[in-house]
Amino acid sequence: MSTRSIWPRLLLAALGALLVLFVVGPVLRLLALASPMSLVEALGEPELRASIVLTLGTATAATLIGALFGLPLAYLLARRRFAGRRMVQGLIDLPVVIPHPVAGIALLLFLGRKSAVGGALAAAGLEFVSHVPGIVAAMLFVSAPILVSGSREAFRVVDPQLERVARTLGDTGWQAFRRVTLPLAGRGILASAILAWARSVSEFGAIVILTYNPKVTSIYIYDRFTAFGLPAAVPAAIVLLAIALTVFLAVRLIQPMETE
Amino acid sequence: MIRLEGLGLRAGRFEVHDISLEVPGGGYALIIGPTGSGKTTLLEAIAGHAPLQAGRVFLDGKDVTDLPPERRRIGFVYQHYHLFPHLSVRENIGYGLARSHRPDSSGGSWTRSDEVAELLGISSLLNRSVRGLSGGERQRVALARALAPRPSILLLDEPFAAVDPAARQTLRQEVRALHEREGITTLQVTHDFDEALRLGDLVAVLAEGRIVQRGTPTEVFRFPNSAFVARFVGSGNIIKGMVEPPETGTPSGPFSGRFRGDGLVLDVVAEREGPQHAVIRPEDIVLSLTPHEGSARNQLPGRVVRLERRGPVTLVHLDVGRPLVAAITAASADAMGLDHRTHVTASFKATAIHLV
Repeated sequence: MSTRSIWPRLLLAALGALLVLFVVGPVLRLLALASPMSLVEALGEPELRASIVLTLGTATAATLIGALFGLPLAYLLARRRFAGRRMVQGLIDLPVVIPHPVAGIALLLFLGRKSAVGGALAAAGLEFVSHVPGIVAAMLFVSAPILVSGSREAFRVVDPQLERVARTLGDTGWQAFRRVTLPLAGRGILASAILAWARSVSEFGAIVILTYNPKVTSIYIYDRFTAFGLPAAVPAAIVLLAIALTVFLAVRLIQPMETE
Repeated sequence: MIRLEGLGLRAGRFEVHDISLEVPGGGYALIIGPTGSGKTTLLEAIAGHAPLQAGRVFLDGKDVTDLPPERRRIGFVYQHYHLFPHLSVRENIGYGLARSHRPDSSGGSWTRSDEVAELLGISSLLNRSVRGLSGGERQRVALARALAPRPSILLLDEPFAAVDPAARQTLRQEVRALHEREGITTLQVTHDFDEALRLGDLVAVLAEGRIVQRGTPTEVFRFPNSAFVARFVGSGNIIKGMVEPPETGTPSGPFSGRFRGDGLVLDVVAEREGPQHAVIRPEDIVLSLTPHEGSARNQLPGRVVRLERRGPVTLVHLDVGRPLVAAITAASADAMGLDHRTHVTASFKATAIHLV
């Protein structure tokens, strides 16, 4: 009896294992090239160091801006029933389906000096195209959906009755949010912010169109690859991979407790 | 004191209309109604969680209709406790206390939290996480949390429904004792009339968002004003039928008449003629093995279908052409040798029939 049911399961396991190998294989192959020496050597390159600082800084800025505007929205989407709620929810997810170069071109048209918005902002001293704010804008565009939908879920799983209980115990709406909802949603929000940050660090397609220079690390890697070939790109690629893996670990450490 | 004047509101699929009710200071009132009758909606409106469409709410003589929940001095205990999962038992109980009275995490000195915890017999739980507490323990913590800030009003939403039956009994008694000790005006909603009989000074029956009857629990139980209330509070046998017009003109007061329904003809004392329900409480029915000759009572010959022993009382399910339930003492059931298929006569006075 049991011998008859083992084959389908084996087949499923085999299919899954192949895909996991396909994902893990290239990462391991790249890591195999990493040696402490090669990393030190790569980091000795001032241009790479500058790109890493730029990447981490712009990704952090994009995440903070996303949180400032996105967390209130996430809370509203999770808690309030309002006209057009579903539409807003759909719109905020729009960047997920837009190919990144297309996003870059759209942002270029929207924020360029010749557009009304870009022109006005440039007049106010905020230049996007070929400037650092362009990088932040591209990162914000691609990472906002992750932050908003992640924290929306984090808020949604907190029982709204808890806030009502806190209100009857003397809290104002804001106090109830700060003492109950925020601590309970905290892990989920943090995890989604880290994922949004990681998404920003990994962005290439939109940034390459908006701000090629100064170079973020992903563009630096591409630049080295096209100019000098594979061996020149590998050390920088390993550095970026190390950053990505650190983030991956951080999220894994936060999330299991959240889903408890 | 809680006074509701013409409350009306709608929250989701629940609505309540024109609710007026007064619970005197220190009183214990229950609102009973079936699931979906709008009980919880009503409590949330009193607490200020849901905006009113009509009416005013007065607590302790003060109009609080436009005050936010945090300024109404209400303790609210929900059916599913809603303890704060990120806080310890001590922190949960101390949540509503002013910052200066809040327990510090180290335990600190004797506080209001300790006092309330002792009152509810949960002192040993104070340093525990709320995860892993039993239903009864959770409910005690929820009660302690609501009582700690010394609210003037306590609202209880089905507080015993999710607790296992053994703990429920104890908790009920404790809540009643606490109520007497602290003198807090209490309003509880429940779907269980038994709870109202045990706990309340005053009960209001809610059906489809309206109060259909109010009074002391005994009044409502003995004199339900509709077949719905009679059925809901379990008043006993409910027979649908018709009071025949009296033989002599239109009487001005109660008259002796005849009720026909479900194949039975009963002597009743009626207030009016026409279609009505006859409610006969099981304990008002007397059973005998032989008919009483020449008695002024209603007498219905029948057959025992089933005996349901409930401690000192035995419910006798009869077939008298329609089902009828009588309650007699277990001792007389034994003395009469009642058994399945025994032929008996059920008799009851005309005045024992309550017409609604």
